[in-house]
Amino acid sequence: MIPTYHELEHRADMSLRVFGDDLRALFANAARAMFEQLADLSMANPSTRRDIDVGGIDLESLLVNWLNELLYLHEVQREVYSRFVVTELTIRHMRAAVYGQPVTQAHLLIKAATFHGLHIEKDCQGYGTTIVFDV
Amino acid sequence: MVSKHELTRIDEWLWEVPMGFRADMRVPARVYADEAILDAALLDRSVEQLINTACLPGVVRFVLAMPDIHQGYGPPIGGVAAMSTTDGVISPGAVGYDINCGVRLLRSNLEASQIRPRLGEIMDVLNNGLPSGVGRGGDVRLSEKDMDRVLELGAQWAVAMGYGEPEDVDKTEERGAMPMASAGAVSSRARKRGTDQLGTLGAGNHFVEIGEVSELYDERAAESLGLYPGQVVVWIHSGSRGLGHQVCTDYVQSLQASVYRYGIHLPDRELVCAPVDSPEGKSYMAAMACAANYAWANRQLLTHRVRELLRQVLAAQFPHAAFSLVYDIAHNIAKLEEHQVGKNRVRVVVHRKGATRSLGPGDARLPASYRQIGQPVLVPGDMGTGSYLLLGTNEAAERSFSSSCHGAGRVMSRSAATRARRGQEVQRTLAEKGIEIRGPWKGLAEEAPEAYKDIDRVVDVVHKAGLARKVCRLVPLGVLKG
Repeated sequence: MIPTYHELEHRADMSLRVFGDDLRALFANAARAMFEQLADLSMANPSTRRDIDVGGIDLESLLVNWLNELLYLHEVQREVYSRFVVTELTIRHMRAAVYGQPVTQAHLLIKAATFHGLHIEKDCQGYGTTIVFDV
Repeated sequence: MVSKHELTRIDEWLWEVPMGFRADMRVPARVYADEAILDAALLDRSVEQLINTACLPGVVRFVLAMPDIHQGYGPPIGGVAAMSTTDGVISPGAVGYDINCGVRLLRSNLEASQIRPRLGEIMDVLNNGLPSGVGRGGDVRLSEKDMDRVLELGAQWAVAMGYGEPEDVDKTEERGAMPMASAGAVSSRARKRGTDQLGTLGAGNHFVEIGEVSELYDERAAESLGLYPGQVVVWIHSGSRGLGHQVCTDYVQSLQASVYRYGIHLPDRELVCAPVDSPEGKSYMAAMACAANYAWANRQLLTHRVRELLRQVLAAQFPHAAFSLVYDIAHNIAKLEEHQVGKNRVRVVVHRKGATRSLGPGDARLPASYRQIGQPVLVPGDMGTGSYLLLGTNEAAERSFSSSCHGAGRVMSRSAATRARRGQEVQRTLAEKGIEIRGPWKGLAEEAPEAYKDIDRVVDVVHKAGLARKVCRLVPLGVLKG
């Protein structure tokens, strides 16, 4: 299977290069990539479902809002999410169902997904973007 | 990327990217560094990030990087930028997500030789008794009413509730509470994240360290601060936890639309901002001040717990053990200050991201006991090397908007550090040097000493450039990483 993301070098924070065949896949892969930094998801067995509804002023702000919404839920619900089903996505709005399970202690504290250098790019392969997280 | 030949060397310790380097720069970008530090900074995007900051509306004189400069998001870490309150902006991204991440230093009446044999036990007690780690809640659960008080009164609330001594407030920057805080500016989500996190260390580079004063550079100043060689000290490094992260997240997102409304063009969207005087700018300032106050309350509760734990473990042998606050400073914050710009005194918002304030002697904002000597500038290093206490200078007002460095600064990414050595190995090597470390293995590997710059070198630049002056060097005895 072709990897959906890889980590780029960043001195202080964390930078992930994420890919997706289409925008929905890109958003889902970005979320999965983020949670793989927080916990070992290889044996994940989701027991809860959360419905997400976020907006933005463009695709980039929507992506940041989506990831930060998940970080918020992760912290207040003490859960990690491993499966992401984007059910609706326009330039300014998205809905998704995310599936996760309780976590006692994550590996890493991600403070936020940032806008730093953020551009969603499209080429013949699909979509790609580089996201810098404050850790 | 910026090349070295494009920088002008102003003096031995100061380099400048001139205004014409990029058409959108409004002021020059200056870096305090020696040659090796500058060379290292030019290997990543930190100078480019500083240049981006020089493009913000209303920025005055120059933007600056301290010698602990390294790549961040938005401005570099170690960045300082002052914006006019009349035509300038305030930027949540230029403060960062951990609002008022900061550090405090406590001095004790104990000698390192007295506690060294029991160091392992002491560190275990701290490790078991202090809530730390990702998403970890603490013992205090704030009601809505108490949350309002924490947000508006900060460390003063904590001391009034019995978590500390009145003198702690005197020795805290801003007396532990920024006056422009308004609890209504903080979202319910931020409050929710903060409900059970007061008095928790957090993760990443946050720590509690037991240290020892190892070397004095200014005996009289050290005496005024109550410090002497061989003395046991305690460092506490933490911030505003999830509450602060959410405040920044909220405003970085909501101001994305405001920049269009105000016709602001940004080289990087993470530098999102609003005019200082606009409703959005004022609202962010009020919310940021609340998060800063939460951080001061957090460090105050941590201090209280550390005192309890240390007194408890040392009770039989040292029944009179005491731990007094030397000082507490913020290193991610925006503050309203007055600075000289040309011939005028101008009100500006100074953004310090991974940089501290450095006030010289005579400044009325200092506690009476430090007014003669200047503000203590606390510079923690990595967990295997050393740290410094400096004093602010009056020259820093002209040179750096009264700012100094905040730490050593990273040279290695967290993943590179984790690949290089396992946490267990880091612990073993430091134990051989007599330093007891505790914390999650991954965190210990990420924070290994070699992941950081040489603190002595960074502090030398600050000292020689006159931004702050060396008083003493401190070394670690035991470190608990969050």
